Amino acid sequence: MLQRVILPKQGLQMTEGTITRWLVGEGQACVKDQPLFEMETDKFTVAIDAPESGTLLKIIAAEGDTVPVAYTIGIIGNPGEDVGQLLEQIKAEPAAGGASAGNEAENPAPPRAGRDSRRFISPRAERIAKEKGAKLDGLQGTGPHGMIVERDILSLESTVKATPLAKKIAAISGEDISRIPGTGSHGKVTSRDVESFCAKEKSGGRDTLVPFTGMRRVIAGRMSASLQTAAQTYHRVCVNMAQAARLRMARAGRGEKISVNDIIVLAVSRALKLHPIMNAEFTKDGILLKGSVNIGIAVALDEGLVVPVIRDADLMDLTGIALASKSLSEKARSGALDTAAYEGGTFTVSNLGMFGLDEFVAIINPPEAGILAVGRIGEKPVAVNGEICAAPVMTLTLTYDHRIVDGAPAAKFLTCIKEYLEDPYLLI
Amino acid sequence: MSIKTYAQAIRDVLAQEMRKDPRVFVMGEDIAEQGGVFGCTKGLLAEFGPERVRNTPISENTFVGAGVGAACAGMRPVVELTYVDFAYLAMDQLLNQAAKIRYMFGGKAKVPLVVRTQEGIGRGNAGQHSQSLEAFFMHIPGLKVACPSSAADAAGLLRTAILDENPVVFVEHKALYASKCEVPDNEDFSVPFGRANVLRAGKDVTLVATQYCVPKAVEAAKLLESEEIDIELIDPRTLVPLDIDTIIRSVEKTGRAVIVHEAHKTGGIGAEIASQITEKAFAYLDAPPERVGAKQCTLPFNLGLENAVIPQVNDIVNAVRKALYL
Amino acid sequence: MPDRDRLLRIYETMRKIRSFEEAAVALFERNKLRGSVHLYIGEEAVAASVCSALTDKDYITSTHRGHGHAIAKGAELSKAMAELMGKAAGYCKGRGGSMHIADFEKGNLGANAIVGGGIPIAVGGGLAEKLKGTQNISVSFFGDGASNQGTFHESLNLASVWKLPVIFICENNGFAISVPVEQSTSVGDIAVRAGGYDMPGVTVDGNDVLAICDAVDAAAARARGGGGPTLIECRTYRWKGHWIGDPEVYRTKADIAAWMEKCPINRLREYLIEKKMSSAGELDAIEAGVQKAVDEAVRFAEDSPDPDPAFVMDDVYCEAGGSNR
Repeated sequence: MLQRVILPKQGLQMTEGTITRWLVGEGQACVKDQPLFEMETDKFTVAIDAPESGTLLKIIAAEGDTVPVAYTIGIIGNPGEDVGQLLEQIKAEPAAGGASAGNEAENPAPPRAGRDSRRFISPRAERIAKEKGAKLDGLQGTGPHGMIVERDILSLESTVKATPLAKKIAAISGEDISRIPGTGSHGKVTSRDVESFCAKEKSGGRDTLVPFTGMRRVIAGRMSASLQTAAQTYHRVCVNMAQAARLRMARAGRGEKISVNDIIVLAVSRALKLHPIMNAEFTKDGILLKGSVNIGIAVALDEGLVVPVIRDADLMDLTGIALASKSLSEKARSGALDTAAYEGGTFTVSNLGMFGLDEFVAIINPPEAGILAVGRIGEKPVAVNGEICAAPVMTLTLTYDHRIVDGAPAAKFLTCIKEYLEDPYLLI
Repeated sequence: MSIKTYAQAIRDVLAQEMRKDPRVFVMGEDIAEQGGVFGCTKGLLAEFGPERVRNTPISENTFVGAGVGAACAGMRPVVELTYVDFAYLAMDQLLNQAAKIRYMFGGKAKVPLVVRTQEGIGRGNAGQHSQSLEAFFMHIPGLKVACPSSAADAAGLLRTAILDENPVVFVEHKALYASKCEVPDNEDFSVPFGRANVLRAGKDVTLVATQYCVPKAVEAAKLLESEEIDIELIDPRTLVPLDIDTIIRSVEKTGRAVIVHEAHKTGGIGAEIASQITEKAFAYLDAPPERVGAKQCTLPFNLGLENAVIPQVNDIVNAVRKALYL
Repeated sequence: MPDRDRLLRIYETMRKIRSFEEAAVALFERNKLRGSVHLYIGEEAVAASVCSALTDKDYITSTHRGHGHAIAKGAELSKAMAELMGKAAGYCKGRGGSMHIADFEKGNLGANAIVGGGIPIAVGGGLAEKLKGTQNISVSFFGDGASNQGTFHESLNLASVWKLPVIFICENNGFAISVPVEQSTSVGDIAVRAGGYDMPGVTVDGNDVLAICDAVDAAAARARGGGGPTLIECRTYRWKGHWIGDPEVYRTKADIAAWMEKCPINRLREYLIEKKMSSAGELDAIEAGVQKAVDEAVRFAEDSPDPDPAFVMDDVYCEAGGSNR
């Protein structure tokens, strides 16, 4: 038996609502009186329960759609039940979803997916929002006709003053940093604030024991082994990423999505070819120079860190690396990679730039000879021909195993990466 | 360094280059005894004589064409077109001949011709003596186009123009002739073509201005400073070649651009620069590039009317505010 | 009075122009040439005779109907034909075509597709030589149509005022495209216009090599001696249409036939034989040599590669930095 899901009127003044989230996917089971979707009215946001148990066979109004009250927004039924006829009927209904035959003359409007859900944002604001990972939902622009402009994104950020580490921890913990009271200078949220907030949120003040999952145990073992066996030290260098940004724009202009990390992986793979000592392994018989360049890319998951490997990266062009990287990280996040995908790495790139870190030091992923820690790209003053100007600068920190490689060759390797990144057209 | 007027700076470079190179000579209307309607060739006749300082008949197309021919034949003529408005009479020689000779004839010819002219308002000269026509010359490949906004740039760019192997339209501005600034005394001082002058660094709005609009833009920037709006002011100095990179770098920083010129807004150089900004820095724009130019009517005689037609400081300030959605 | 050698050179030049253009027509008809091709056939005496008075250091400027001027000023037939075919080996690397052959090394400052456009440029060439203090001169070729352009009048005035070493050669072939000269021009003899600019003006039979040589020799001597410019009007006729494919509604076949009777090449041939300055055998040998050269030029042009579009943006500007001092 098919059952309509309608947008219920909630309060006297309500004439329409916006679906903000479906809590049950199309084809998934829903339970009567359990939340089915969230909607937003002009007054509040509310979760609406399923009217019946069954399968959500069809979502008619998508997330972001604004729909008149009583309009049919979905269909619940038994698995496999044919919704075609009902859908036809709903489409043919002139009234508001046909929920009430008496209302036919009113509310003839279909879901307004067009104008209302379209967000007007300046190209610059969009770019910055993307870089910062800013959430634009509900953000009211202050440009003409409510267009979101740069200052709107910046004000979004500036309302919460927090240290980069605090932001990162909050992001990892899934906490909204704006809810966290800050105790730093001028009320800045510090990492300590976030940690204590998270602890309280989760435990209400009590300590909590989180048992080791498999992944946590593996990471713990490998990292402490790494620090105990390898003679780790590091070099650091700043890189002007202006040209890399141009390259990305140029590719974007061709419809190709290239990440900064893809360019870094490309540069690292080429630098490894020139500096094979960095593509090596310490064995009891001697230093083993590896025949392939397989670059691990560290991917942060909720439950920990994984490092899928881009094989033979030195043989790939930028497009190939971008595709491989995208596919690997997507699969890693969805848990679709088998163990083989994590094996055979010869060097690792770890990028926490997206968490706002200026720089950090990574621990070598054994038995590799090095790991490159990539910080965020930020505008910094640089001197060009004797004049100070702003440039997008990124800090790279190379941790290397001093048993395998000495300071000078490691420095050359790092400089080689820097040179490639500052003139990435050398790479392509 | 010496303090010189724009006109003096031009006159001194002409004299210096004529001393250095016997192939350099000047011709144009009223340039000999009179020293030019704007005084840029004063004293040259006395020093260099009537062979190298020639009054021409009022035959613009032909004396510009004679300059083209003399340049093809190994001389380095500097031809003065008293008013750029008269360039229409010489367009065939400028656009069909000078601009095309090198390319059309397979790259063997050189046309080291400088056509000095001046444009803009400043003398209450109405519709046929006040126009700004640089966009015409920018549109046709083969010509270089310089448009100095200060005495120092006039000197440095004119020397580069005379030394250049290509035809150069050197567009002065009549309201700037009396403006003064420090000019290097070095007789080799030159300003390369294709290098914009960043007159003021700022972070909020990129303001691109040429010629007489540069001092207006400086004033506008000062006014805006009191509103805590930080202007980056760029004078491209040459339109061909155009230093678009400096403009783009600035827009990448500020996200907003206002281009101001005295020529008509429609089809003016601002249209070209705005388009290039949109093409090359779209993802950096927080607002559409704004153009400020003369209204699309003939330049009127009455001062109040003239002021109403050409961009004023206030128009620049308003355009900047508009770019900032203020 | 031109001597035997000079007349034989003129004869050879006229034959070259004629054969070259006949070959061009054949190529056009075989669809190997594109664009507007304006033929000089019938007018060869003017270019050949005038240029016989010039050295490589003297300048000419030419017109849309410019093959004859280029060849008379010493152009290589192969490079000229390659240019007509738009080939990379052409005078202008295939960028100019029939209407834009220039050869600066030989003093040809270029053909010009703007009627009257080359006249001020020739004046500039003369001005340059005057400023340099040489005896070199500059010649501008143009048609009867151009004598109604402002540049003609302005240039005559300027050259006269400045006493420049310029010879203005008006090739009056009776038509400005389709408009007869009587309909467009205020005077019967264009040469009388020289009077307005205080310079000598003569009208000569443009199919008579001897008459042209006399007029141009006098004008050249005057120019080289600092006496200033001269206007010479050469009355002639083009046998072909304004361009290949011209419907020629403005004249009759009989008109053309009458002028073909006055062929300048035959006329010089008969004169040379009659005056025993040459023989039919010698002149036939010259013609054979010319025909061979034209055939080779066609072969060269046909075998030459097209220009590479990769270089289409070359030479818009001269990249050389600064003057050579």
